[in-house]
Amino acid sequence: MNDVRALWRGEALATAQQVREGALQARDVVQASLDRIEATDTRINAFTTRLAERALKRAEQLDRDPKRSKLALAGVPFAVKNLFDIAGMPTLAGSKIERDAQPARRDAVLVRRLEAAGAILVGALNMDEYAYGFTTENTHYGPTRNPHDLERISGGSSGGSAAAVAAGQVPLTLGSDTNGSIRVPASLCGIFGLKPTYGRLPRSGSYPFSSSLDHLGPFARSVRDLALAYDAMQGPHDDDPACAQRSIEPTLSQLDQGVQQIRVAVLGGWFREQAMDEACAAVDVVAQALGTNRLVELPEVERARAAAFMITCGEGGALHLNHLRERAHDFDPMTRERFLANALIPAAWVAQAQRVRHWFARRVARAFESVDVLLAPATPCVAPKIGTEWLEINGRPLPARPSMGLLTQPISCIGLPVVTVPLWGQNAASPHLPIGVQVIAAPWREDLALRVAAELEAQGVVTAPIAALA
Amino acid sequence: MTPEQIERLVDAQSAALGVRIAAEHRKGVIAFYGLAARMAELVEGLPLTPADESGSVFAPVTPNAT
Repeated sequence: MNDVRALWRGEALATAQQVREGALQARDVVQASLDRIEATDTRINAFTTRLAERALKRAEQLDRDPKRSKLALAGVPFAVKNLFDIAGMPTLAGSKIERDAQPARRDAVLVRRLEAAGAILVGALNMDEYAYGFTTENTHYGPTRNPHDLERISGGSSGGSAAAVAAGQVPLTLGSDTNGSIRVPASLCGIFGLKPTYGRLPRSGSYPFSSSLDHLGPFARSVRDLALAYDAMQGPHDDDPACAQRSIEPTLSQLDQGVQQIRVAVLGGWFREQAMDEACAAVDVVAQALGTNRLVELPEVERARAAAFMITCGEGGALHLNHLRERAHDFDPMTRERFLANALIPAAWVAQAQRVRHWFARRVARAFESVDVLLAPATPCVAPKIGTEWLEINGRPLPARPSMGLLTQPISCIGLPVVTVPLWGQNAASPHLPIGVQVIAAPWREDLALRVAAELEAQGVVTAPIAALA
Repeated sequence: MTPEQIERLVDAQSAALGVRIAAEHRKGVIAFYGLAARMAELVEGLPLTPADESGSVFAPVTPNAT
């Protein structure tokens, strides 16, 4: 007999199995999630919208549906960054401006795919305005606080998505990642995140930021849940011109294949120079667990990061040009001046950045001829306190907010799949704080990154406990 | 790019595009534009040939595919 009060602790895979078998009612699972959100979100501020009526109605339908026995995510509550379309609501994308937008006519494609697999949407989650930030210090909706230390940032821009999972509010969320917005909050909130290959998952029905770099992906507290959700979302969609015409390549069934044949190396150079001791230590723990001491250096990483920066500026500035002309005063002060500057930059800078991006992608492809998986820190450090302006990395003062993406931007610039895995106790002064390691594979090899993450989880090297929230 | 060049560019571009920069935001906009200019120097510093293609690729849309 299940204790319905503790259902919110359940992992997606186990919950779905029990709902499929009729041992659990989807309604009870959803209610437990809604109760957990109610009990904790005044402290976390992960949710900007709760969908209790819609979620409970859908759960009751599922409980009456005999087809639930075939649904991979039967009864699993989930929530999405508020840049995903939800039918009947304006898609906020963290902004004040979009409150005036027309309500979405239907759910985003990935929401529909998860619900087709039996999952149940319970709400929308906080983020940096228009996904332009790494901290979720959103002025309009307030900061999302790190469940493991409420004085600290959750990371961003998918901060609500990571915090909701870390706080046990839902076992599964979706976010987006243009320059690190899945990997940074996964690192700082101590959970697993998957940024798939660029073009793998359709972005149809989500608010864009920089279409050349935008990715969508899941967060979870276990690698199995991550793979389960990812598998349910795969497949092409014609409305997203960047989405590859690839058939579904299941990963959940591959997780227990081990890592003996997978060649692993640590990224050196930029990826050690821009990281504090705790970030390097986390990578070293993972490398040791995987039995590798091999170091790989990629060429021109700093220029690749600059290319990602520049493409984001150009595409983000152009996307919001009319808003900047007409409603600049309604932008979040955390993004306004950057967006204004972005709208003014020369096209030649952006075009050149796209060429550098391609040059870098080809060089990194060569590196993958002799290695399958690369390791790098996901963030330079553990979560800073909310409001932190400056960090010191290897003796150099750097602006804190943009620096959280120093180690993720060169990777998403060329669209590589990454699983972020959480480690603990690497910062002696703050052992209660997690930090993530990027497990990076060649394009379309999410399966390898997930297998390595599963091995690390099986060894107990990486874990994603629910925050105590005392 | 010098600070003066950046200021002139911001003023000229904002006027040409009809993007009004309020006085209280001008300093921040110029500072970020300066950062973007430094990033542009890094990007332009990589020697490329005409054969180096763009990372931005267009996919033609076939009839009945939308």
